[in-house]
Amino acid sequence: MKALPASFGAVAAAAALAAPFVLERGTLNDLWSLALGVILASAWNLLGGFAGQVSLGYSAFLGIGAYTTALLSLRGVHPFLTLPLGALLAALFSIVIGLPAFRLRGPYFTIATIGVGEAVRVSAASVSFTGGSGGLRMPAGSFDFQLNYYSMVVLAILSVVLAAAVRSSAFGHALAAIRQDIDGAEALGVHSTRFKLAAHALSAAVVALAGSLYAINFQYIAPGSVFDFRLSLSIVLMPIVGGVGTVAGPVLGALVFSTLQIKLLAVPALRDAYLLLYGGLLILVMLYEPKGLVGLWRRLVARARSAGSVRGPEVSDAG
Amino acid sequence: MPELVSVAVNSLLAAGLYATMAYGLAVIYGVMRIINLAHAGLMMLGAYVTFTLFDRFGLDPFVGLALTGPLFFLLGVALHRLVGRRLARSGAGPSMESLLLTFGVWLVLQNLAYYVWSGDTQSILTGYTLKSVAILGVRVGVPSLLVFGASAVSLVFLNVLLRTTYLGKAIRAVTQNRDAALLSGVDADRISATAFGLGTAFAGLAGGMLSTLYAFTPDFGRSFLLKAFCIIVLGGMESVTGVAVGALVLAILENGLAVYTSVPTSFQDAVSFTLLFLALVAFPQGLPGLFSRFARRGALH
Repeated sequence: MKALPASFGAVAAAAALAAPFVLERGTLNDLWSLALGVILASAWNLLGGFAGQVSLGYSAFLGIGAYTTALLSLRGVHPFLTLPLGALLAALFSIVIGLPAFRLRGPYFTIATIGVGEAVRVSAASVSFTGGSGGLRMPAGSFDFQLNYYSMVVLAILSVVLAAAVRSSAFGHALAAIRQDIDGAEALGVHSTRFKLAAHALSAAVVALAGSLYAINFQYIAPGSVFDFRLSLSIVLMPIVGGVGTVAGPVLGALVFSTLQIKLLAVPALRDAYLLLYGGLLILVMLYEPKGLVGLWRRLVARARSAGSVRGPEVSDAG
Repeated sequence: MPELVSVAVNSLLAAGLYATMAYGLAVIYGVMRIINLAHAGLMMLGAYVTFTLFDRFGLDPFVGLALTGPLFFLLGVALHRLVGRRLARSGAGPSMESLLLTFGVWLVLQNLAYYVWSGDTQSILTGYTLKSVAILGVRVGVPSLLVFGASAVSLVFLNVLLRTTYLGKAIRAVTQNRDAALLSGVDADRISATAFGLGTAFAGLAGGMLSTLYAFTPDFGRSFLLKAFCIIVLGGMESVTGVAVGALVLAILENGLAVYTSVPTSFQDAVSFTLLFLALVAFPQGLPGLFSRFARRGALH
């Protein structure tokens, strides 16, 4: 069962790496966005899916990565050398937020993260060293699309591999225990706060890396762009639509969202319908299949199996 | 001393509006254990409905509230039918599904507003918008005063409803102990629909009041949702008087910060979000929980 999605993933990764030799710039841009979506969704899923701690404040980490890169590049540091520092700062910030916030459970944690996200956005727009609401422009001459494309795709592949590794590790099992029954997990000796903090820091660091690459490719960042509502929304919606708590779900969700985005931008009448679409999708998923596309697929497979087993029980043994 | 009076007057005026905002969230939370994120979208919609009544039909925004309230009650009952009813109430606390579902409703409402009213910033300018009067030597805008009056009327109305009618009593019963209420023959579905309607009506009223004080866009309401949430957390989620106290505490802190410290106004929202964060962490049972904790400690000594 596990081998099938893994081999699909390997083929997709190889195709994405070979793409610059075959495809045009426009399509590559779309693939770049897809890779960004895969990274953000997979990283969010580490905490939101595996550990079940739904946070709506992830744009803060994206912003920390993007601003670290822009600010240091403007002071003469090579943009790619700023990546580790952005990731480190985001991880530290995630711990500062997490220490108090993880005392809250479920929806209360979620509401607190909305507050954090808003506070960071408001602060970035009102302090002076970030360039205020006007934003920052990266230094001229630091643009190389081929390099930007490859770095984003490689990071996307690494995030999926990381998610798969976490899922099957002892760390991943501890997170799953926290999601299923936090009191039970605590009783069995899982230090829940420590694991939540670790998952938060890990996902924050990955999101900050994506933020740095975002700044490098767009060359210009502002509170309106890195803290864009559409972006922080899709960070949450991609894994939810795809299937929270799975490795394939966030990737599927990113695929759905970037396809929708491309199709929407092509039709002028629908360009302003993204909130309707995102909201509608969220309502449908929550009402009919809270486990997302992966859940739907599993249900269909289970139904096909049971239909098969009615006709001949020996078939089900083979599966 | 004049600063103190000014903080007191302004806080009291703001608290009325804040309580109206927060009651809508609290009543739905109490009965259905849903944190209704669509509250922000409904406040935004309330602002636009009031605006349209004013702009198209020349209806004074405060007269318009008399229409907005019942209209939003019906809207809330309809919303409950469409989505709210399907949310199975989980025993202990609110479920993640309900939070995300109402988040989806909020997004849809936002997009509808973009379609109907476009993304342009709107505001309501009446003959008295810029007028002010002096209360205890403090200059107070006439709209703030009217908003306070309108909130007082709606809150008194709500209180009478909750205390004297069968539906109101049933709502309070379900809030206090759902199982016991159901055993005594309360129709859970009907009470949920009524509570959702009431909560929505209060969101609409609060939105209408906000539209007389602030400019708004379809994105309007997020910071007020956070404030309302902060209040019901401070007030202890289920207690009706708690909400009023929570509203007053938030208003005093905001006004006090503005007067006594040099925190720039652009940071003020960040301050109340930080407060929300700290309130959630420090008093998970709200101020009533804090008081009872102190009372228990006192009893031990």
